[in-house]
Amino acid sequence: MKKIALIYSFNSNKTRLAADKIAAEFSENEITKVNAETLTGKEFISFDNYILGVPTWFDGELPNYWDEFVPELEDLDLKGKTFAIFGLGDQVGYPENFVDGIGIMAGILEKCGGKIVGETSTEGYTFESSSAFRNGKFLGLVLDQENQARLTRSRIKNWVSELKQNFK
Amino acid sequence: MIDNTVPKKYSIKNTPKETLEKWYELMTLGRAIDNKAPNYLKQAIGWSYHAPYAGHDGIQLAIGQVFEKNKDHIFPYYRDMLTAMSCGMTAEEVVLNGISRATDPSSGGRHMSNHLGKPEWNIHTGSSVTGNHALHAVGVARAIKYYGEKAVAISSQGESSVSEGYVYEAINGASNEKLPVIFVFQDNGYGISVPKKDQTANRKVANNFSGFKNLRIIHCNGKDVFDSMNAMTEAKRFATEENNPVIVQANCVRMQSHSNSDDHLLYRSEAERNYVQEYDPLAKFRRLLLRYNRFTEEELQAIETNAKTELKRVHKAAMAAPEPSPESIYDFVIPEPVGSEKYPKGLHNQEGEKKKLITALNDTLKAEFRYNPDTFIWGQDMANKDKGGIFNVSKGLQQEFGPDRVFNAPIAEDFIMGTANGMSRFNEKIRIVVEGAEFADYFWPAMEQYIESSHEYWRTNGKFTPNATIRLASGGYIGGGLYHSQNIEGALASIPGVRIVYPSFADDAAGLLRTSIRSRGLTMFMEPKALYQDPKAATVVPDDFEVPFGKARIRREGKDLTIVTYGNTTHMCIETANKIASETGLEIEVIDLRSLIPLDMETVINSVKKTSKALIVHEDKVFGGFGGEVASVIMEEAFEYLDGPVHRVGSTFTPVGFHKNLEKAILPQTDKIIEAAKNILNY
Repeated sequence: MKKIALIYSFNSNKTRLAADKIAAEFSENEITKVNAETLTGKEFISFDNYILGVPTWFDGELPNYWDEFVPELEDLDLKGKTFAIFGLGDQVGYPENFVDGIGIMAGILEKCGGKIVGETSTEGYTFESSSAFRNGKFLGLVLDQENQARLTRSRIKNWVSELKQNFK
Repeated sequence: MIDNTVPKKYSIKNTPKETLEKWYELMTLGRAIDNKAPNYLKQAIGWSYHAPYAGHDGIQLAIGQVFEKNKDHIFPYYRDMLTAMSCGMTAEEVVLNGISRATDPSSGGRHMSNHLGKPEWNIHTGSSVTGNHALHAVGVARAIKYYGEKAVAISSQGESSVSEGYVYEAINGASNEKLPVIFVFQDNGYGISVPKKDQTANRKVANNFSGFKNLRIIHCNGKDVFDSMNAMTEAKRFATEENNPVIVQANCVRMQSHSNSDDHLLYRSEAERNYVQEYDPLAKFRRLLLRYNRFTEEELQAIETNAKTELKRVHKAAMAAPEPSPESIYDFVIPEPVGSEKYPKGLHNQEGEKKKLITALNDTLKAEFRYNPDTFIWGQDMANKDKGGIFNVSKGLQQEFGPDRVFNAPIAEDFIMGTANGMSRFNEKIRIVVEGAEFADYFWPAMEQYIESSHEYWRTNGKFTPNATIRLASGGYIGGGLYHSQNIEGALASIPGVRIVYPSFADDAAGLLRTSIRSRGLTMFMEPKALYQDPKAATVVPDDFEVPFGKARIRREGKDLTIVTYGNTTHMCIETANKIASETGLEIEVIDLRSLIPLDMETVINSVKKTSKALIVHEDKVFGGFGGEVASVIMEEAFEYLDGPVHRVGSTFTPVGFHKNLEKAILPQTDKIIEAAKNILNY
């Protein structure tokens, strides 16, 4: 398996802690941590396997560090590259745009030719709509630290174990 | 099906550098003023109301960039400083408004600071009543559509304003009439301190309108210049090409308190206050300009330095500008009405066949619609086959003038009134007549727009006046009870900026209606509905009759007592005078005021000087009624001529009851007037 780029904001709190837990499920040489805040297109394109930490801000927006990278990202050819996305959201406070960030990012990556893996079941979540929802599943790992923090560890464990089979 | 795709016309990579430069200059200068505004208050110079726009930068820039002055119409709200600048207003004009100078283009210091406008460019000065200009936007869009202009009306407002019922009425109207309106909801999550979860169930209030036909809803990131530009560009394309309304809901952050009378430390956590700073749209735009190598750090610093220099210059110039003078307060309360060369006193001697009051009104409406092709009328029950108005006053108008000039309105009085205000803004030729409500005492839901319209001429320093006549079937004696029999003119008379007329006879009704429709400004036209078909109100009516405002008519001359009256009670007073004359030989002078505002006190005072006694009679309540004003002026100006106290007869201080016994006990009757008149005569 080629090295996986685990890309998230090093300045974030909840996303960073979740990323640490994900990293802990891999051996050290399987993962390279990359700070999304200082990410460049050149650095991004240098990997083949990716796990992206994409939280949702406000009523369904990407955080600035991802949003500001998007114009650069849209120019990249991501054919042959595999992406898994995890994201934090609040299903009680923001049920109308629950983890939209995952869906927005997945859409951009797919448009550039990337392959999305790591879909998860929506069982156990209550929400009204989500850009991350497609064909009865979420397009990535959904974590809700506000309302279901005690489930985070097991959700990560299960997700990563399935994910390993998708990365080559 | 509406295609909901928003083309990405603008991005950091493909937007021309000179455009990006213009935007950054505007945003930098705007933010510099936004940051400096509180200092003017601290130094007691002015700007005592300031609603900072920081955090709304993307959408405000975009609104202004799609606006075309003298073609589109925009209705900014009190947080729209960058919007106004992006529309073309200068920094100096913004500061002149902030510190309320006489040369402030928005209001000349008459309206609250931070309420920016430039009516001569169609940047309309907004109210403090949040979101009520949504109705004005719909009204002017009705004219845009009628006259075939390729333009839009933009109503810019906070997301909490959508809780107001009239915003629903506006969007419903735009959807139903298929009008080119863009409603921009600038969503910063708060209505002062009230979070949006306490306003409505949907976090995105625009989605409350997802079932409305013909309406498109676009969501965008109002903190992002490009997303906002793309949303507004598409909204304008859709509105102008499809002639349909659009809602653009722009997600913003409020980086400061609501205004300088609010302190967000009281209700926002430190974490929230920090992250809204991190999402500063200006800082994001700056980062993008550098990241994508569109500008160098030095180039941006040069723009920032220029903004500081410009602000210093603007400050100096605005501080030297004149302040409004106390003597100017009576300017622009209400426009000068048309006069009448042929009937300067509103009198005639024509003989011939008499017309009923309702016929006189109907004939005059038709004549005025023929006279001015830019005359419109709407209201509830206005036109459906042979039905024309609740009492058929407008019967036949739609058949002759068509459904684009004569049409029904939804049962929404504020909408009727607010769109009259809005449509007036399109051009000066337009004259609007509305049946303000089915009955006068149903008018109360429209009071919000009545008040608004009453002070716009004054508030804009004479730059805009709604040109509308509000017709209301008023008063009782029909067994109607509540909402069908009451008078409202006493309550309205304390509001400056609107003329109020209340005829009693067919000829005066025709003459006053003609003058109302032809004059600039707002006229409340009260119709005594009990007299519509009554033969005693029927008169000969010259085809071209005009009654100037503020000219009372002596309906019966006398020397022993003056009775001042109007509307239904005029006839009772004449009957009283005739009866007393036949019984006692005493002669009572009956003055029919015809106009309450302006009030012809000269005729009243001259009569009192002759008779030395005065009785005021009206159908409205005595307590707080208009007669109190007339009585006071008589006391002040003719006290030495009086031989007795001034008395009043009117309704009891109760609602009007439905049963005939109750109505009779409550409303003034001829016997009560006779009794009062005899008491005064015998004093």
